[in-house]
Amino acid sequence: MRTLVTKLLRFIVVIIAVTFFSFSLIKLVPGDPVNYIIPFGSNAIKAQLRHDLHLDDPFFVQYWHWLRNFFTGNMGRYYGTSFGGGVSVSNQLWKALPFSLVLILYAQVLALAVAIPLGVITAYRAGTRFDGASNAVAFGFLALPSYVLAFFLAIWVAVKWGLLPVSAAGKEISPVSDWRYMILPTISLAVAQIAVYMRLLRSDMIATLREDFITTAQAKGVPNRRILFRHALRPSSLTLLTVAGLNVGALIGGAVVVEVIFALPGMGYALFQAIGAKQYVAMQSYIAVIAIVYVVINFVVDILYSVLDPRIRHARAAA
Amino acid sequence: MPEPLPSPAEELATEEAQEGLPVDAGTQEIAAVIAVPGATAARRRKKPFGVGAWLALGWLVFVIGIALLAPVLPLKDPINWSDPTLKLQGPQWGHILGLDQGGHDMLSLLVWGARPSLEIGFGSIAIGFVVGGTLGLIAGYFRGLIGELLGGLFDIMLAIPAVILALAIVAATSASVTENTGSHVTNVTIALAIVSVPILGRITRASALSWSDREFVLAARAQGASHFRILWRELLPNVLPAMFSIAVLGIAVAIVAEGALAILGAGVNAASTPSWGNIIIGGQGNLSEASHIVIEASIAIFLTVLSLNHLGDALRARFDVQEARI
Repeated sequence: MRTLVTKLLRFIVVIIAVTFFSFSLIKLVPGDPVNYIIPFGSNAIKAQLRHDLHLDDPFFVQYWHWLRNFFTGNMGRYYGTSFGGGVSVSNQLWKALPFSLVLILYAQVLALAVAIPLGVITAYRAGTRFDGASNAVAFGFLALPSYVLAFFLAIWVAVKWGLLPVSAAGKEISPVSDWRYMILPTISLAVAQIAVYMRLLRSDMIATLREDFITTAQAKGVPNRRILFRHALRPSSLTLLTVAGLNVGALIGGAVVVEVIFALPGMGYALFQAIGAKQYVAMQSYIAVIAIVYVVINFVVDILYSVLDPRIRHARAAA
Repeated sequence: MPEPLPSPAEELATEEAQEGLPVDAGTQEIAAVIAVPGATAARRRKKPFGVGAWLALGWLVFVIGIALLAPVLPLKDPINWSDPTLKLQGPQWGHILGLDQGGHDMLSLLVWGARPSLEIGFGSIAIGFVVGGTLGLIAGYFRGLIGELLGGLFDIMLAIPAVILALAIVAATSASVTENTGSHVTNVTIALAIVSVPILGRITRASALSWSDREFVLAARAQGASHFRILWRELLPNVLPAMFSIAVLGIAVAIVAEGALAILGAGVNAASTPSWGNIIIGGQGNLSEASHIVIEASIAIFLTVLSLNHLGDALRARFDVQEARI
């Protein structure tokens, strides 16, 4: 119980810190942020905006105003008349966030679905030619940037063979019913993760297979398949689970790039457009939301972790 | 043969388990990074530096060499020389790697493009290595409040996905981005350096935490050695291997990240400073008719990243040997 409270407190501190950072970003912009947001606005409009953003107030007061608005869903609007002027940031956000989450989920599921069997088999057949080949291929994919893979998939699969749509530019698409748009982005995102997960699971699995309880199971005549997937997989999957959770950060970063390449209407694309159009108000909120999502996922993984590993659960019960 | 000593990762994990503390996600991640497959085998006999590692080293020396020598090599000017009539043409006499969408020579673009890519890769990690390493060492040695605060700082910095953090820093700091002329190598380097600080800091902290419990540190302290001396002479030499192997991998990540930032519009300005990343982005529009542009630049990145990854792994395996000899 005590550790849970500590974790919760830590979680809150981190949330405050990342929102503070996202907010402070606008302070890093050289010069008056108002000049970036509306460079050609009249002085009266600029003064109005400065007042709206609480730029005249002390820094922490500004932060407090922003934070309160942020958590009540009032994230301001896109300024100016050119790009999405007047559109509410939170509206954009509610459209973009589910899209990115689904994309990341697809990539994570695909990566684990391929990596777990591969990791188990390469550990079981460690040292064989199959193991060597799988490792070499995985090592190669680790060195292949996801954007390079995305470009090649886009050209060959989508443009030359015409099997799948290339880009969703200008279309309102749903990540579930328009799944054809999601295939190439998912593959581009998942490939590097497959390599990471497979290598991790393989090394943990090799260690587990040397343990006494595996020998016992073999002596009892439990079939190999059952030993591998029922007895050995769970104790070997702890590092994998943690890294899969932490990797959501890498996936969010990768998703930004992949969304931009395939013009998918997710958080990454929205952030990219906001930065390009100097929409600093929107940028603050997007970065804060992305960071919060990541922190929440890590928090959940941390809790799940103790559920999955009985040793931690028992240590906790004793304490 | 004496019992091989547990690696710092194993030690850290068991230590925390003994104290009844839950092994947190961070420690596990680090343990996963430090505990490499085959490390136990490598510990028993000194593993020779394999053919692969020599090839990797050779490629890196070659790339760094041509990047340094670019001004004196007999190459066409990558920016000012162009032949619009030959644009997008594939490899041919006089242009062995073909030409890009602006009619620039691909060979000289790639050679000159190695400079910003390597500057960003090595530069950012060098800064992160010194800053993150120092903070991590201090956090691992002085536990208590300082350690907790620094550890918390690393956690907070890691709470923002790396690409997003780098993108935000570049976007906010470079005035030139807001004028749509791209950013400076320095901006990108500093952004990636900031991103690498908590990663290197956490590795160093975890490693320093386990080493600072050892008898030789206690002995040094008993002899009245100053904190600085213990940090510098006792801890640092033991912590360096873990830092080095992560740093080598980090250079690879930074080189890839440079390209990702270029896609996101926060990379190095392609018109004045060609880099491997922005060559790929520039050629992407003509991928179906002139794929050589993207393919060549991708191969350059791929081989460099592959070499760095391989060297990182090889270093880890090799340094584990020394660790066990203490």
